[in-house]
Parts: sequence; C-alpha cells; structure tokens
Amino acid sequence: MRVVVAEDLFLLRDGLARLLSAHDFEIAAAVDSAPGLLCALLEHRPDIAVVDVRLPPAFADDGLQAALAARREVPGLPVLLLSQYVEQLYARELLADQAGAVGYLLKDRVFSDDQFVDAIRTVAGGGTVMDPEVVTKLLGRRSRDEPISRLSGREREVLELMAEGRSNTAIAQRLFITEKAVSKHTTSIFTKLGLAADQDDNRRVLAVLAYLNS
Amino acid sequence: MWIFLVLMWRIVGKVLRRVGWGGLLVPVAAMGMALAGVHFWTVALVLIALAVVLRKPLLAAALLPLSMISAGLAGLVVAAMTPGGSMNYFVRAVMAKPQVAWEVLPQAVAGYIPAKGGPVTYVLPKATVVWTKGTAARHQVLAQVPWVRDWAVRPVAGSKPLAVSYAIDKGPEPGAQAWSVAGVGRSVGGWQGHLLVPVALLLLTIGLWLAPRMLRGVRPLAASRMPELRRWLAANRWALLLPPVVGVGMAAFGAQPWTIAAVVAALVIIVIRWPVITADMVPFALAALAVIGYLIAARWQSASPGFYQHPMLYGPVWVDGPKSAIAAGAEASAFLALGAWLVPRTIGARWRSTPDADLAGRVARLTESRGHAVDAAAAELRRIERDLHDGAQARLVALGMNLRAVERVLPSSPQAALALVAEARETSVRALNELRDLIRGICPPVLADRGLGHAVQALVLDTPLPTALEIDLPGRLTAPVESACYFAIAEALANAVKHSGARHAGIRIQHASGLLRIEVADDGVGGADPQQGTGLQGVERRLGTFDGIMAVSSPPGGPTMVVMEVPCALLSPKTCSC
Repeated sequence: MRVVVAEDLFLLRDGLARLLSAHDFEIAAAVDSAPGLLCALLEHRPDIAVVDVRLPPAFADDGLQAALAARREVPGLPVLLLSQYVEQLYARELLADQAGAVGYLLKDRVFSDDQFVDAIRTVAGGGTVMDPEVVTKLLGRRSRDEPISRLSGREREVLELMAEGRSNTAIAQRLFITEKAVSKHTTSIFTKLGLAADQDDNRRVLAVLAYLNS
Repeated sequence: MWIFLVLMWRIVGKVLRRVGWGGLLVPVAAMGMALAGVHFWTVALVLIALAVVLRKPLLAAALLPLSMISAGLAGLVVAAMTPGGSMNYFVRAVMAKPQVAWEVLPQAVAGYIPAKGGPVTYVLPKATVVWTKGTAARHQVLAQVPWVRDWAVRPVAGSKPLAVSYAIDKGPEPGAQAWSVAGVGRSVGGWQGHLLVPVALLLLTIGLWLAPRMLRGVRPLAASRMPELRRWLAANRWALLLPPVVGVGMAAFGAQPWTIAAVVAALVIIVIRWPVITADMVPFALAALAVIGYLIAARWQSASPGFYQHPMLYGPVWVDGPKSAIAAGAEASAFLALGAWLVPRTIGARWRSTPDADLAGRVARLTESRGHAVDAAAAELRRIERDLHDGAQARLVALGMNLRAVERVLPSSPQAALALVAEARETSVRALNELRDLIRGICPPVLADRGLGHAVQALVLDTPLPTALEIDLPGRLTAPVESACYFAIAEALANAVKHSGARHAGIRIQHASGLLRIEVADDGVGGADPQQGTGLQGVERRLGTFDGIMAVSSPPGGPTMVVMEVPCALLSPKTCSC
C-alpha cells in the first residue's frame, strides 16, 4: 500500500515513515509543506495520505486545506489527518463531501501503533475514522436531544465505537460481546435515530456521523 | 351572527399572527379617532399607527400598551371633567379682527361681537355637534368671559343643530380690535358617554397588563442600541434643549398647540441629524427667548390700567397682569443665565482648543486600561507558569524517573520493565492532554488558524446550548483584538450555559465602518450583573484596552443580552477557504 506522509517536524516525519515501513507500507513521498503535499498527492495518487493539519507556509490549517483541495481534484482520495488537537469544525469540513475515506486523529494515537495502522487501513479501504474525542464532543452536544437520550447505555457505547469508525467485528471484540449482539444493537440504534439501516459498514458510519453533525 | 363573529375572530387572528400583537395599535388609534372626532391629526395618527405596524412591528408592540394606557387615562380625565359623560362647549375669547375670527379656529363655529354690543345669535353646523346636556360646566366656562352675558344654547328645529346666543354689555373701544367669542362644539354623548368610563378602565387595565409583556420583547432591541445611545447622549445632550426652547418661544407668540408640536417634531429630527450645530444654537435660542420675556414683562408693567391686553403664555407663566409680568421677567433671567452657562459647554467647548481636554481624558483612560492590561498579562503568565509546573513539567519528571526505573529492572525482570514502559507511555499521553488544554486556554487553535468567525463557530460546536450564529466579518482582525473578543464571547456564552438556564442562545458578529459589534443573547432567567461576577468585569477591562465597551441588559426574568463594541480595522479580506 503506497503512502504519502506530510509532517513538518523532521523527527515525527521520520518516525511515521519508519513505523509505516515496519508495517509493510510503501512510502511514496514524505513532504514537509502544504504545497509539497498537494503536488505529491496529485502526482503519486497514493492509496492513503497521512497529513499533519498544521503545516508550513502559514502554520495554520494548511495541511487540512491542501488535503481538501486534493480531494476536490481526486474525489474520495483517502486522507488521514493528524493533529495536536481535534476540532469539530474541521471534522465537519472533512465529512462534508460524504465521500468517506477520511480520518481525523490526535497525534497521540500514533503511540498505539496497532490501532493506528488499523485506522490507516480502514481509511484506505474507504472507511471513516474519527478520534474518540471528536465523537465524545459530538455526543455531548447532542446529549440533550430526544432520540440520543433514548438510547440505552450499551447502545451508546456501540454508537460511540461505530462513530469512531470501527467495524462490527472490532466493536464486538472491544465490548466482549458477539457480533450478532452488535448488529442487534446497531439495528436498534438506527431505528431509534430514524436512520435507514445499511449493511455497508462505511456508509453506516457516514450516516451516523452525518446525524450527529447535523 | 355567530358565524360572522367566528369568521371575524379567525380573520383577526390570522392578521395578528402575521403582523404581531402590535397590530392592535390600529384599532386603538381608530377608537381614539372615534372619541376625538375625525380631524386632520386623528386621521394622521391612525395612518402613522398603520405605518408603524407594517414597518416596525416590534415598535408597534411596544407602543400598544402605552397607547392603551394613555387612551384610558384620557378617557377618565374627560369623564371626570364632564359630569354626565359629556364634553361641554368651551368658549374662548380670541383677539382678532371680526373677519379673521373664522379662520382662527377653522373647525370651530365662531361668532363675533359687534362693535356696538348687543345680542348675537348663530347656528352651529350639524357636522361638528352632537348635543347632550352639560349646562353646569358650560356656564362655568362662560363666566370667564366677563363681557358676555345671557349665554344660551338651544336646539333649533330638527333638534341636532344648535343655536348659540349671547349678549355683551358694550363693545371694545372704538378703533381697538374687535373681540370675538368662538365656541367649539363637541360632546361625547349617547352610548359613547355611558361607555366612556368602563371602556377607559378596560383599556387602562389591558394596557397595564400588557406593558411588561410587550416591553420584554423590545428590550433586546433597546439593549442592543444602548451603547450607541449612551455615547450620543454623552456627546450631544445639550442639543436636546433646542426643541423645548423653540416650543416655549412659539407659545409666547400665541402659536397653536399643533403648530408647536409639528415644529418641535421637525426640530427633534434636525437635532438627531445635526446634533453639534443644534447644540451650538441652544444658547442663542435661550438669549432670544429671554429678550422676548423681557419685552413681554416691560409691556405688562407699563400697560395703563383698564386697557386690555391679550394674555400670553411664557413658559409655565400665564402673563395677564403686572404681577405675572415680574414672574415672566424672572423666568427670562433664568433662561439668560442657562444660556450663558451653556456657552462654554457647547460653542465654547468647540472654540477652546478641545484637543487638550480630550487628550487629557484619553490619557487617563489609557493609563487605567494599560494598568489593567499589564496586570492581566502578568496574571496570565503566572497561571501558565503554574499550570506548566504542576502539569507537564511534573509529568516529564515522572517520565524520567519511570525510564530510569526501566533501566534498572530491564536486565533482571523484563516483565516489570514492560509494565513500567506502559506506565511511561500513559504519563506522556497525560502530559500531552494537559499541554493541549493549556494551549487552548492561551490561544485556541482555530482562532490562530482562521480567525474570530471560525473560532466562534468551533466554540458553538463545542457548546451544549443550541446557538444561532450570524457572522458578518469579511476579514481578519489583529491578533490581540481577535483573542480579546473570542474570550469575551466564550465568557458570555459560558455564563449563558452555566447560570441562565436558557434553551437557546444567539451570537451576532458584524464589522462595519471601523467598528466591531458583538451581541451574545440568551432566553434564560436573566439577572446577570457584571458588578457581581469577575468574569464579565474582566471582559470589560480587557476590551477597554482596545477602547472597546460592553453593555449588559439582563432584567430578572430575562432575556439576557451582552453587547460589545470594539473600534478596529480589518487586516485583510478573508482568504478564500479553498
């Protein structure tokens, strides 16, 4: 799987490249600025881009802007954004095109490399991965809403994990329940939120996030 | 009949839903017209009411209870003045040439007293008169006109038109102007007379009940205009004196009340448009008024006894003799003194080299706000130092100790070392979280990345309270202003979430002609007092560093509105977010 890495700090860029190589990813390019990122993305058309939100030249949200620009050129280009902080506003902009294949994680998540690599694979496969902190904030904002408050505790847990972008199998492992139980919970959640049930994992996550983001 | 009533109710309900409760202003004004008669000014009032309802529904809603209360009070006054529920004829002596008398009170029926004296009879036209009894009051009024006797009003054939007759003892001196007696016939009779008191009481009660409810809707609007109004008043309060001064002057020359009202209204508009020039005119107007006063006083003092002069109204003094002439003179002196006192405050203030006084005030303000800014910055640095010391720094120390322990146990027990490494990783995550929170408190990332508009959007997304946003900010501001405004909004919004129990909030940000204006409103319980909490006080001080101001309107029962204004320029047009 070919990866483009964009990170302005040399140590982190090098560390990311090494981590990904160790997990059998091919580093197509490792760049340190937003314009470089845009060029690399359009030239290499990688299977996934791992991008720091804050990049030169402006050291603002240049990485996010470059990623969004590339996705406008190449719809559905898989992009995983890393940042020192997560903002609902940016999550919303990433999800806005409804194409999926986006991820938004805190940089700390790199520490647990298994989960990080899982997230990269999910995004590369067209899935959506949101940082638990984003999901918590989304749910916090909607907690007063009638449909969300009607969910049971377990259903809420399943919803959180689903919104983070985990598959039924992963959710089942995490909550120590059977996959069948998970799908029972998801059906119930979709009924309570008034969403159309969908067997496709990726579309399901997008539907949940769109609901929470509305 | 019932169907008709129900239909009417439906239609009225639909209209009211469209224009709001203020729509009732039109029927109230129409009722006033029914009571006072169809005149130019009553028709004008109804039309104005209609225009207000259609163009400014909020203002109409605020005026409705006020108009009901005043209509009710007026009705009660009329009822008290007119026993039997009728308004009587009143008679006034008008100094004029006979042929002019008809023009003095155009809608009145005027007769005049011939130069030789003798009986006079004339007929009141049907259109102006509804006849009821009320003789007692009528005679009382007539008693004030000493040279008229045998006043009588009697119905002529057909009962509605009236004949008015009176006699005088002798005419005025030859060569003097003739005197006329004009009677204005109007009465409230029939069913109107009987219903006057109950209808007036009903209007009064409904008006009093509505007043607090309607005013609540207008309060946010009023609050949002408050800083502007306060600034205007501070700069131009003396200009407001011009309309009353001119009004008093016109009254002294015997102008009709409606003429005075029209001129005063026109002047108010001029005052609002050109406040500085009108303020400069006030001392001159007062001096002119004083001169008029002295002239009046002199004329009455020197008048030969027995010669009749037309009484004059000079301010609150009704000048009709040597004694009241002295009062008029004193009043004129007071006007002159007021005018002289105002000279250094209006014209003088502009002629004097104003920069000095202005600059002194500004230096004082800047010294104060600089002190606050330095204090705030120092306090902020102390907080950051403490947070780093207790947070990230302590965690890094723990991390180092952990790693040292790993070094020690690794050769002997790799299992224990693994546990310690996991712990070290946990510690680093915690340190990162603390640093993240600290940075968010110093400068929120979205604010640094994209400026105030987006940062407030992000803030609203993180707030559990549903908040409407209206942002008109076509560029970035300087970083200090952005930061101060952001934390001001965050503080106001946090107050709404924590204390108000509001269900909705709204934030409006706009930048126009060098002024950034921010409104944060909520529909909660109100009662917020900037003097009580340190939060809003801090906001006010921080904005003060940029010559910004803050006003809080939060009556008990709500709603709360915080308005902030900061003079500042836009740095650049918004960069396209693509």
